Amino acid sequence: MIKDTIKHEKWDSQLRKGSLELVVLASLNGRQAYGLELLKSLQQLPTMQLSEGTLYPLLDRLKREGLIAAEWYQEGDSRPRKYFQLTDEGQIKLAALTDRWRQSVADIEYLLDHPGPDPLFEE
Amino acid sequence: MSVRTHIRNYLSSLNKYLSRLDKADAGEVIKEIESHILDAVDAREAAGQPVDIKQILSGFGPPRDLASQYVDHILTGTPPPKGFNAIKKITRGVTKGLWFSMAVFGYLIAAMLGVLGLIKLFFPQDIGLWTAAQGNTVVITFTDANFPMSREVLGWWLVPLALIGCTLVLLLTRKVLAALKNGMN
Repeated sequence: MIKDTIKHEKWDSQLRKGSLELVVLASLNGRQAYGLELLKSLQQLPTMQLSEGTLYPLLDRLKREGLIAAEWYQEGDSRPRKYFQLTDEGQIKLAALTDRWRQSVADIEYLLDHPGPDPLFEE
Repeated sequence: MSVRTHIRNYLSSLNKYLSRLDKADAGEVIKEIESHILDAVDAREAAGQPVDIKQILSGFGPPRDLASQYVDHILTGTPPPKGFNAIKKITRGVTKGLWFSMAVFGYLIAAMLGVLGLIKLFFPQDIGLWTAAQGNTVVITFTDANFPMSREVLGWWLVPLALIGCTLVLLLTRKVLAALKNGMN
């Protein structure tokens, strides 16, 4: 049982690695957020337990690639925070990645829905 | 150690590992991470929870690992996905260009020294190392109309010296080229 959980954690982490860019772009779609805020809200989701050490370098890379923009804001007495939002380029990238993601999910669903012994595809 | 000391130590260690970046880039990374840590500390305090600074810092991982993630993508760009040969070709082209200019530069200087030494054997009067203007300038000339008031300094010694110089530059160039070739992929 314990071994099973560990296996699933590994699977989660592999899947997260591959989809991290999509996750971050999607979470910034139509809203601004600063790092800690983004991290806290992603951590509400059961398979999105990413760490600070993963998120910040990724945000920096996406910024350098022009997919997100960052700006420091200070509200009232609070400490200045760096807010991130999608750029136009990021929006386009998000749309493209979303298509690919949905296609993968549909493909996997198809496989799951069509066990043997019948052939996968009708002749 | 106090919370502040922990934070200061972490950030200064991170700063050390970010030293390959330029100051502005490293400063931005430090500022962003410091802001996150202080925010997280404040949030714990506001919620009346004990502040476990080690746990907060552990989310970022060891400073060296964190820094290397930034350094990797800032200095070399994101590692290209497999099949992205175009990007690799550009890096290879740059290194080849460097190798080629190094070869031209090194061999040209070696050739000039070699030719200088050999010509001195055949036209000893016309070529040589001269001082002019009471030793204020030193010139190598190949001409039958020498500088006014100039005096030849090396004489026949120019031949072995130029040839030794030629050999040394040749060897050095070969070594540098071999080292550059190692760096090519």
